[in-house]
Amino acid sequence: MKKITDQKWDGILKSIDRRRFLISSAAAGVLTLTPRFVSAAAGETYNLGVLLPSTGAGANWADSAIKAINIAVADINGRGGFLGKHPIKIHYRDTHTKPDVATREGRSIILDEKVRAIVGTYSSACALALQEITHEAKVLQLASISNSAKIVGANYSSYTYEFGPNTKMMSNAIVKAVAKLAHRNKWKRYITIGQDYEWGRNIQRGFVKELAKLGPDVKLQRELWFKLGESDLGSYISGIMSLKPDFVFPAVAGKDSRTLMEQGQAMGLLKVTSLVGGQITTVELQQQKDTLPRGLVGMSRCAFFAHLDEPLMQKYIKMYRDAQGQYPTDMSCMNFDVVYGLEQGIQKAGTIDTEAVKNALKGATLKTGRGTRTFRKCDNQLNVPTYIGEVFDDPDYPFPIYNRDKMIVVEAEDVWGTCEEAEAGRKKRS
Amino acid sequence: MELGFDFIFPQLMAGMSRGMLLFLVAAGLSLIFGVMNILNFAHATFWLLGGYITYSVLTLFGPTAGISPLLVIPATLVAIAVLVLIGFAIERTLVQKMYDRDVPEQLLLTFALVLIIGDVIKLIWGVEDRSVFLGLPPVELFGQFVNLYYFVIIGVGITVFAGLHLFLHKTSFGRIVRAAVHSREMVEALGIRISTIYMVVFGIGVGLAGLAGGVVLPLTPLALGADIDLIIQCFVVVVVGGFGSIIGTFVAALLIGVTYSFAIFLWPDGALAVIFLIVIAILIVRPWGLFGTELRT
Repeated sequence: MKKITDQKWDGILKSIDRRRFLISSAAAGVLTLTPRFVSAAAGETYNLGVLLPSTGAGANWADSAIKAINIAVADINGRGGFLGKHPIKIHYRDTHTKPDVATREGRSIILDEKVRAIVGTYSSACALALQEITHEAKVLQLASISNSAKIVGANYSSYTYEFGPNTKMMSNAIVKAVAKLAHRNKWKRYITIGQDYEWGRNIQRGFVKELAKLGPDVKLQRELWFKLGESDLGSYISGIMSLKPDFVFPAVAGKDSRTLMEQGQAMGLLKVTSLVGGQITTVELQQQKDTLPRGLVGMSRCAFFAHLDEPLMQKYIKMYRDAQGQYPTDMSCMNFDVVYGLEQGIQKAGTIDTEAVKNALKGATLKTGRGTRTFRKCDNQLNVPTYIGEVFDDPDYPFPIYNRDKMIVVEAEDVWGTCEEAEAGRKKRS
Repeated sequence: MELGFDFIFPQLMAGMSRGMLLFLVAAGLSLIFGVMNILNFAHATFWLLGGYITYSVLTLFGPTAGISPLLVIPATLVAIAVLVLIGFAIERTLVQKMYDRDVPEQLLLTFALVLIIGDVIKLIWGVEDRSVFLGLPPVELFGQFVNLYYFVIIGVGITVFAGLHLFLHKTSFGRIVRAAVHSREMVEALGIRISTIYMVVFGIGVGLAGLAGGVVLPLTPLALGADIDLIIQCFVVVVVGGFGSIIGTFVAALLIGVTYSFAIFLWPDGALAVIFLIVIAILIVRPWGLFGTELRT
């Protein structure tokens, strides 16, 4: 800290006359005695953009995320906002799960609403498109549901932070479990079915590549792709059944996952083959509680029941149940972490200035519902785990969860690869 | 890949089911255009609304997972009744004013209905997907597992086709409707109120969409935005079959459904392209569709 010399003190004192001194002292006294909430109201509003779908294929997952963001923001605003003096104003836009809509709405809230950060999106295709805009406008993009590895890899932007496990981490995690199952069950042939867009292609590619290394005897028989939001998967399922693979890997998320599961059951898919490694998050576990086949192996991104000892997770569960009368989902859990993570970044920076917050988040260690987690400096990926488990009826919950005795929590460090890999082919940005 | 019976039979069943779903929605679209010359872009949105109404009625009986298939019948009948009334009301208040307008204006009006009804659905039912899970076990047929509900969809599709055909050709009201297709002025000159004919036809068309929404609900989930995807496929069916031709719509729906079912497996990346190649070929070679007449080009 710089010291103020006596000469400087003299200068300062000389510049303040008696009248000015009295006025200043009185003003300082008033400020000191003013209740905290009054001083907070004087702070600049923090405009927070939220780009998530309430229509289209992603609406089912995004719904609980939007609710969690609102709950967390209300909680922080109850304390006066960020730093106790910057009330948060949410600017929500529906992306319709479409990249063109996401970029249009993203541009709109940046230019018209002057948002400092955007939480979202659902679709990785939307997130990648939005990155071009947020990077150029120097606005923070806080991703969680959209989790293509490209977001922190080839399309990296220093303004983007990823709060969920990315596709590479997830496919590497599931492939380890599947390789064990394939070895145990002597599986030789498999089919992949995926949503035909950035995320689906990415996670399928990662899975196939890694399984070829861990289980070279297991051969990919066929890959099938359907458009996002396809409501009739009958022809795909009957085709898979006619090929009789040993197992099927679904690169399917959101409501399409439910469609695949329910139509698959009605067509007898599970009588012919095994469905392994699909995304069975707490959204599916709650919504399909009556129909989800028990024993199915799935993966999850933010399973609240894996962190019941974490004080922050306990807080999330309580807040969400109080507000919604339900348990939080993976999507709400991740987006609680996003909002409180942003708050911690702002606290570290001591200001809401976007550049300062961006720099404060770089390599930052955050308290999250999933424990204490750190952003990797080379790609802004939070070191969060992926959860793999068997669908299981737990008497403590009104819906099935993963069997906690057998659940595998794959830590980020085991699956996220090296920084060199993350940086390979990275887009050059100004 | 071996194209044996193991492959062909299940794909055919799935394709026929898909085709019947398309027919059930496109039949009303084709009927309304054939008789009234109104291109109803909101037709699949009425289908969606019918599905949501059916869903709500089903929830009155208890949880929608594992519900009895028989309960789908009264729930669908309620949806049809509500949709027919909505159809009457919309025809009287809005569509009636569009008869002498150009097609782009009709499309704009009906597209506005898509947005308005979509928002109404959002307000009443929220954004969550809705689905009904019957829990019917698959049936084993010729050594293959088949979704039992496929037979219901195919059966309803054939019944609706036969019913519409009989209605248009064997009843006096149907004959008047067909006459109105060719000469509105002549029908009016005979002292028949053409506006009543139009209102009834629009109501029937929208009611068919309601029927489709209810019947299909146990097979496919309801989601906001699903109507936009479906209406495009329905336009494809109607273009291929011929606007206003029920038999054309039926044949084209089966053709599109079955072709798509095989194409997604034989040429996964080009399945949609195959469908639109058929449309292009029809538009070039036979612009009035497989069963349409040149009068309607």
